[in-house]
Amino acid sequence: MTQLLDLPSNRDEAWRWADLGGIAAAAALAPVAAPDAEFLDLPGAKLLFVDGVLDEARSDLGPVTLGPVTLGAVDAGDHPLGRRASHGWTLRLAADAAADPVQVVHVATGRENHVAAAIELADDAAVQVVETYVGAGWSNRLARITLGKAARLMRSVRLLQAAGFTSLREEATLGEGASLVTTVLGAGDAGTRIDGAVTLAGEGGYAEFGGALLTRAEQRQECAVRVRHAAPNGQSHQLWRAVAADRSVASLAAAVEVARHAQKTDGEQSLRGLLLQRSATVNLKPELEIFADDVKCAHGATVGELDARALFYMQSRGIPPARAQALLTRAFVADALDRIGDERVREAFVADADAWLERAL
Amino acid sequence: MLKIEDLHAEIDGKAILKGLTLEVNAGEVHAIMGPNGAGKSTLGYVLGGRPGYEVTQGSVTFDGQDLLELEPHERAAAGVFLGFQYPVEIPGVSNVQFLRESLNAQRVGRGEKPLSGGEFLKLAREQAAGLGLDQEMLKRPVNVGFSGGEKKRNEMVQMGIIDPKFAILDETDSGLDIDALRIVGDGINRIMRKADKAVLLITHYQRLLDYVQPDRVHVLADGRIVRSGGPELALALEREGYAGVAA
Repeated sequence: MTQLLDLPSNRDEAWRWADLGGIAAAAALAPVAAPDAEFLDLPGAKLLFVDGVLDEARSDLGPVTLGPVTLGAVDAGDHPLGRRASHGWTLRLAADAAADPVQVVHVATGRENHVAAAIELADDAAVQVVETYVGAGWSNRLARITLGKAARLMRSVRLLQAAGFTSLREEATLGEGASLVTTVLGAGDAGTRIDGAVTLAGEGGYAEFGGALLTRAEQRQECAVRVRHAAPNGQSHQLWRAVAADRSVASLAAAVEVARHAQKTDGEQSLRGLLLQRSATVNLKPELEIFADDVKCAHGATVGELDARALFYMQSRGIPPARAQALLTRAFVADALDRIGDERVREAFVADADAWLERAL
Repeated sequence: MLKIEDLHAEIDGKAILKGLTLEVNAGEVHAIMGPNGAGKSTLGYVLGGRPGYEVTQGSVTFDGQDLLELEPHERAAAGVFLGFQYPVEIPGVSNVQFLRESLNAQRVGRGEKPLSGGEFLKLAREQAAGLGLDQEMLKRPVNVGFSGGEKKRNEMVQMGIIDPKFAILDETDSGLDIDALRIVGDGINRIMRKADKAVLLITHYQRLLDYVQPDRVHVLADGRIVRSGGPELALALEREGYAGVAA
C-alpha cells in the first residue's frame, strides 16, 4: 500500500481525468472467488494468470517464455504505473515467423497484481494477441512491443472486470513498414486507464490504436494515447468511441506528434462520445503537435445523444424503446470493433458489447 | 377502424390541432389535403405517438382501443403504420436487420412466433422486388445514401413487410418522379386496398390520388377539417386552390 502514495496527481495534465482514488480502492478490495476464465476457441498459446501468477496447469505457453521482462529503449521505468510491473511473459518471434494466436486471460480475485509483457517481432514476423481481464481488484499491466521491419501485430484487449481497476501501459516501437493494430474494449464494471505510447520509428509504419469504452453507474474509464510519427510516410488512426450511462465518466485523450522530418504523415483521430443519460460525462481531448510541413492530420471530436428522430422511427416500426436504444448504440460502437480483423475475435467482442448494452439499458 | 374525436394537440405550447374529428372505416382510403402549416403532419405524428406532440383534448380509438394510451411501438404492434415524410437515416443498422427486428418485435408483441432469418429474407426480397427497390439496398444501412425517391420506396417496402391494418402515409408522393409515383401508388393499392384495412393519405396534391383513388377527401385548415367530400373534392382543390374550397 505504501506504493500507492506515489501515484501521480490529477493536477498533472496527463492524469487529469484518471480515477486515482479508484486505483487505491481497487487495490484494497477484499478477495473474491475467481470467475470462470474462458478462452476463445482459437488455436495457439493460452496463458492464464490468476492474480498475476501463471496457472501452469491451465496454460499452454507455446512460443511464450516467462520471467523478468527486460525494458528496452522506451523508458517504461519512469511510468508511474508501468514501473510497478517487472515480471511476466515474453513473446519473441524470429524473422518471417507467423505464429498462431496467443491468448492471455487475466483473472483477479482482489487486492493488486502487476504483470509485464514484452512482444518482440523480428522482421516480417506476424502474430495476433488477444487479452481478456475478468474478476475484481487492481490489475496493472505493462506491455512493451517492438516490431521489426514489416512485422505485423494484431492486438485485441477486452476489459471485463466486474469490480476494481484495470490499468494498461502500452509502449510500442514500429520499424520500417511495420503494422500495429490495437483495439481495446472496456465493457466491464471496473475503472480503467489505458495509457499508450506508440512510436513510428521506421519509415512507412502503420499504427491503429483505438476501441470502445462503455461506462455505467459510477464507473470511470479513460484512455490517454500518444502516437509519435518519428519517420516519414507513416500512417496512424486513433478511432475511439465512448458510451456513458447513468453518472459514469468516459474520457478519451488522443495525441498525435509529427516530428520535423516525418513528412507525408497521415494521422487520423476520431473521438466520439455518446451520452445515454444527461447525468453522464464524456471528456474528449484530441491533440496535435505537428512540426513537419507536408502532412495530413484529420481530427474529429463530438459528443452527443442518441438521435431522437431515429429512436421514434424505430419505435414507430414496432421496436421497443430499450431495443431501439441498444441497436443505435451498437451501431455507434461498431466502427471501433470493426477494426478487429479476426472474425471469431470480433464476434466475441461484439457479444461483450451487446451484453453490456443489456445491462445498461 | 379509426375514430378521432375533437382532437386538440400542441407542440411546445403552440396549438396545432384544434378540434379535429374524423372516422375511417375498414376498407376505406381517406385523403387529407390542406395548405402548409394546416397540421397535416402533426396529425400523423400524434397518431404515431411522437414525443413532444401533446394531446390536450379529445380522443382517438383504434379498433375500439384507446390509441393515445399506447406507446409508439405498441401502436405499431396494434397494426398502425406511419409512413414518414422524411424517412430517417440510421447509419450502422442495415435495412434487413431493422426490418426483421421491427416485424418480429410486432409479432412477439401480438403473441405470434418470430420469423426465421430465411423466412424473413424471402418476404423482404418479394416486397423489394414489388416496389422496384434494388435487393442490394436491403443490405445497406437504413436510408443512408438513398435518394428521396428511394427513401419513399423503402417506406413502402417496410409497409409491405409489416403488413399493417392501418397506414398513415405522410406525403409519400413528395420527391417521387412520375414512374416512381406509379410504382408507389400500385404498392399502396396492392398492400392496403383490402376489406379489412384502411389508409389515411396525407398529401398536398392530386397526383398521388390519380393512382390511389380515395373514398373520402378532407380539407384540413388551421387544425380542423373544414370540408369533406368524395374524390371530386380533390379535383376541385386542384382547380380552385385551398383558399377557394376551404373558405
